[in-house]
Amino acid sequence: MKQLNIVLQGVGSTVQLLFRSLSYAGTLPRQWPRFIEQCYMIGYTTLPIVAILSFFIGTVLALEAGYSMSDFGAKEYIGSLVGLSMARELGPMMTAVLLAGRVGSAITAELASMKVYQEIDALTIMNIPAAKILVLPRLAAVLVMMPVLTVISNIVGWFGGSVVARYVSSLGISPEAYFAALRHFTKFKDVMNGVEKAEVFGFVVVLVCCNIGLNTKGGPREIGAAVTRAVVTSLILILVLDYFVTKVLV
Amino acid sequence: MNTTQQTARVGLFFLLGVALVWVTFETLSDGKIFEEHRHTLIAGFDDLKQLKTGDEVRLAGVKVGSVQLTRLAGRRAEAVLDIDPKIPIAGDASASIVMAGLIGGNYIAIDMGTPGSPPLPDGAEIKTLETPDLNTIMAELGGLGKELQDSLGSFSKAFNGDGKAGGGIVQKLDKLVTENSARIDATMANLQEITGKINRGDGTLGKLVNDPKLHDELLATVDEIKATAAQAKEFVNNAEAMMDQIKSGQGTLGTLVYDQKSAENIKASIANIRSVSDKLAKGEGTLGKLINDDGLYDSAQVTIKKVDRTLDGLNDSGPITAVGIVVNALF
Repeated sequence: MKQLNIVLQGVGSTVQLLFRSLSYAGTLPRQWPRFIEQCYMIGYTTLPIVAILSFFIGTVLALEAGYSMSDFGAKEYIGSLVGLSMARELGPMMTAVLLAGRVGSAITAELASMKVYQEIDALTIMNIPAAKILVLPRLAAVLVMMPVLTVISNIVGWFGGSVVARYVSSLGISPEAYFAALRHFTKFKDVMNGVEKAEVFGFVVVLVCCNIGLNTKGGPREIGAAVTRAVVTSLILILVLDYFVTKVLV
Repeated sequence: MNTTQQTARVGLFFLLGVALVWVTFETLSDGKIFEEHRHTLIAGFDDLKQLKTGDEVRLAGVKVGSVQLTRLAGRRAEAVLDIDPKIPIAGDASASIVMAGLIGGNYIAIDMGTPGSPPLPDGAEIKTLETPDLNTIMAELGGLGKELQDSLGSFSKAFNGDGKAGGGIVQKLDKLVTENSARIDATMANLQEITGKINRGDGTLGKLVNDPKLHDELLATVDEIKATAAQAKEFVNNAEAMMDQIKSGQGTLGTLVYDQKSAENIKASIANIRSVSDKLAKGEGTLGKLINDDGLYDSAQVTIKKVDRTLDGLNDSGPITAVGIVVNALF
């Protein structure tokens, strides 16, 4: 019962934070430097790890698909499998997971520290709402950066798959054949569906991490616990939302 | 890091993202932001099978469009085809639903039609051909298998019986052999004896089989028969050639049989002969009277007798009195 109460409190405070932040949407142009800073943190600094992970996801997908599909004489379809998998599922989901691990944890740690060291209280006393200057720029930044990260993830993953398809001797599919199959089955609509998913995941991850950070209570030890809780909650929400968003988009 | 540098990096990153989105869009959607006007054709089928929106339309195997919409129209299903307007579809071309592979997927295949046929206008209905799909083929194969099973069951029942009185062929054969084993043994012994005799060269058949002289004579007889047959064939050929000549109206017989003019002449001759014979029968004319009138015969006899006497008188009296004798004899 107590656990359920904690969950419900978490949901309630997150929804309140969302609406409070949205109510300050008009102030976003005046917070341009903060917005740019968050874009840099969320997008630019996350790009290397997203690229590396996506490249290897693409390679593994191509390798596994090629290994399995060779038995059916259908290895020419590796491109289509990697293309669709990356665009519709793995690109957005892995980007969101990385966002939760790298950016979400940082957000929670930063806000939890501010809360623990009473910086949030100081802002509140100065009539500067945390939702306005700490949460809104992050939500706006993630909405702008997630599509970019997702598309880069897709393209790097496709490229990784083509490298494996070309250079693994048991596959030996030319890049032309690989990308022809990819183009044949993967439509721009699939990429857009993936981007929409990524937007939802990223927005939820940042919102949840901000909420957990702002609701941290206690001393410095609680900061670590809050970060752990934020990442775990984000990962669970990503997977749960993935099902429902996919259901809506299919 | 100062704010300016940070802003530049974010700007660069954002522009990179936009560029990549554009590249993806160009690659996957051929860079068409607005839907250009396409050529629409309607293809009606009894059953669209697994055809769905977005499936390909291929002309002679080359992709020329896609299925824009599938819908029910009365008691048939229609597929609205989105065709590249630059590619004309012949008016007598026909469309059929073709299975792309065993793992599913269909496309609409359009044939080239007749060269010079006027192209179908926008919104026209294209002729369609119903093709059997995998399910139909499997159902037919299933039916075939059942029929085969039934046939084999019938054979099995005929051979082994259905458990009722009488049994099958095998049981009947077994019973026949069992009941007549003594007779069969005797027959086999007789057969063995006969084959032994043949082998030894006894009897006509044995000699025929074992004697080379008889064999040679038989071969000679066969050769003679062949020669006779060849002659008969030649005769028949000659007869056929003759018949051909007759049929073509050549030669006397051909003219007689096939020439219309000759036929008419013959008919006229026969009619004349008949007219003459009729007159003769009726005693008309000199010859008729000669044949039918007995008086004329009698007169002729009397005259002949008189002439005979006259000649006798001539022999006796000489030429001087010949005229007087003739006159007396005649009058």
